[in-house]
Amino acid sequence: MKIFSWTKHLTSFDRRLLVIVAVLVALSFSILLRQSSGARVVVSIDDRTVFVAPLAKDQKVELVGPLGKTVLQVENGAARIISSPCPHKVCMRMGDARHSGDLLACVPNKIVVSIEGDSIGEDAEYDFIQR
Amino acid sequence: MTSSSGDSEDLEQVRRRVFLALFVALAVALHAVEFLLPNPLPWFRIGLANILALTALFSYGIQALWIVSLSRIFIGSLLLGSLFSPGFLLSLGGGLFANSIMSLSYKLWQNRIGPIGVSVLGALGHVTGQLVIAWLVVIRHPSIWMLLPFFLLIALISGIINGLAADYLLTSLYKHPAFLKLRASKAGAEETYSEA
Repeated sequence: MKIFSWTKHLTSFDRRLLVIVAVLVALSFSILLRQSSGARVVVSIDDRTVFVAPLAKDQKVELVGPLGKTVLQVENGAARIISSPCPHKVCMRMGDARHSGDLLACVPNKIVVSIEGDSIGEDAEYDFIQR
Repeated sequence: MTSSSGDSEDLEQVRRRVFLALFVALAVALHAVEFLLPNPLPWFRIGLANILALTALFSYGIQALWIVSLSRIFIGSLLLGSLFSPGFLLSLGGGLFANSIMSLSYKLWQNRIGPIGVSVLGALGHVTGQLVIAWLVVIRHPSIWMLLPFFLLIALISGIINGLAADYLLTSLYKHPAFLKLRASKAGAEETYSEA
């Protein structure tokens, strides 16, 4: 079977260009994979930051908002809300937050959990801050 | 057939206009057809209309590229009812980025770069432009840049497909007598076109 050869439509300049572009695309993927996980979980209740912890440490935290206790679980580099007193449980259905910029929010209980920072570099250095 | 050289200049201009109009019409048609095709991924578009923009660039130069692609974006969006919507802004932003990069690369490496090379660079410019516009207008969130690698990969593949199609189209167009003069001017001094 004859294989369709599209490379004969390329000039030698095109060929070099395509190699460079392919390398750049591969590079952009590797940068994406390296930076994808966040460093710390930041919790704010009613717009006040109350809790900051590294994402790498597994723990369960009880957060007390206007409605009651919301339980946040940090496990295997991901944060999720496992129980909440709010009526619709939207926050529990938001699933895992693991990348920098991800958010979990429980609006009725005024709790916002966000993932910040980068797992490589200085951000990963400290291990616990309680405010 | 004989004609004076003055007539021939006029004829060449008329030909250029007619062909550019045809390119725009075909590009609008492809733009619409692509809109009708089902897409497996929400933001995946091959950008078939760019085939005609590339053909215009390689046959009539940089100005023709801008005429064909800008006309196509405006007329195509008008037909699909998306004129001045956020989707249109994305399309226009991507188009402007892509055209700038294609013009620049064509000007810089005119005799060395082929349709596939220009097409791939244009496609990369297009997705980058779209993301910049999306970031400025729609969602100002840094995680939007996480999409860039996937977009670049898709751009690389669709750029090759479009460039290949444009190369086939140019090859068959150049066989037509209407492109004889153009072909001669491209080939340079050794193959001068004679008025006989």
